[in-house]
Amino acid sequence: MINQNKTFTALDISWLLLMIITTANAFVAETAEPSLAITALICGSIAYKGRRIMDYFMELNHANSTIQFFMRSYLHVFPALIFLSDLFSEELAMLTSL
Amino acid sequence: MAALLVTYRDKTGNHMNVTATDFNLNGSGAVTQEPETLNKIPGNRAVWVGIFAELTEFALFFLVYFIAKAHYPEQFNQGPLKLNTLAGMLNTFALISSSYFVAKALAAIRIDQPDQSIKWLWRAVFCGGIYLVIKVWEYHWNVDQGIETNTNEFYTMYYYMTFNHLLHVGWASGSLLWAIHQLKVGRYTQKNHLGFTAIACYWHMVDLAWVIIFPLLYVLR
Repeated sequence: MINQNKTFTALDISWLLLMIITTANAFVAETAEPSLAITALICGSIAYKGRRIMDYFMELNHANSTIQFFMRSYLHVFPALIFLSDLFSEELAMLTSL
Repeated sequence: MAALLVTYRDKTGNHMNVTATDFNLNGSGAVTQEPETLNKIPGNRAVWVGIFAELTEFALFFLVYFIAKAHYPEQFNQGPLKLNTLAGMLNTFALISSSYFVAKALAAIRIDQPDQSIKWLWRAVFCGGIYLVIKVWEYHWNVDQGIETNTNEFYTMYYYMTFNHLLHVGWASGSLLWAIHQLKVGRYTQKNHLGFTAIACYWHMVDLAWVIIFPLLYVLR
């Protein structure tokens, strides 16, 4: 039997959290000066938002482990790459120069 | 953990047994057993091949973005400042809300409320429409500000990524309309909504891609 109230509450809270984080991101975009700390914060928010969508909207938190692994990896690897590409931007430019 | 034994005929007509294990709904701890949860794959295998193919495409865009940013740091530092952050934020609201509505629609069909499911899906389609309208308006606004595809490397990336994503929202909205039609004619029911779950997963993937694109183009400098 599906517990309707509990299901809806989890969805509602997820939606609210995602909206709040998005608003905070936009606020950062308009006000904060670029820095590694800000980049790290934004990367963390991407990973968290992704996890929330995957677990509560996509229902992956008890799904097939292969799907779960690749999806979760994607939303962890790319925020990490965003941070690392900022941290090592000169090295990346050197590595990718023809 | 309880298990459900399902029997079906394969292509050669032989009876095959498969087991569906419990599946948690929306991460809330509520458990159900449904045909589409065989091997715990939401929707079907085909849609997951599609989802991973699409995510690979977006992954390539992101890698190109990292390299371009490393080579043109000044353009990527100044670029987001001239974009319309409000439009980006409203688009994110629209996509997150539509994902939420799709999840609600799926929850409704599972408790045998097709009419309620259709209502939620129309809300999701409306949000998809809002996204497309905002994006078109934003492109016009950009042109008025002198931001075009060849203005510099940052804006080339911006147009390439966002237009590609816009196309995904467009055809995924079409798939939501298809789901509404199937619900209306009674092809998606409480017992059989495999295609609906697949469509929902694809829609959430489009949302996930935007979760990365929005900060990359509008927030990070």
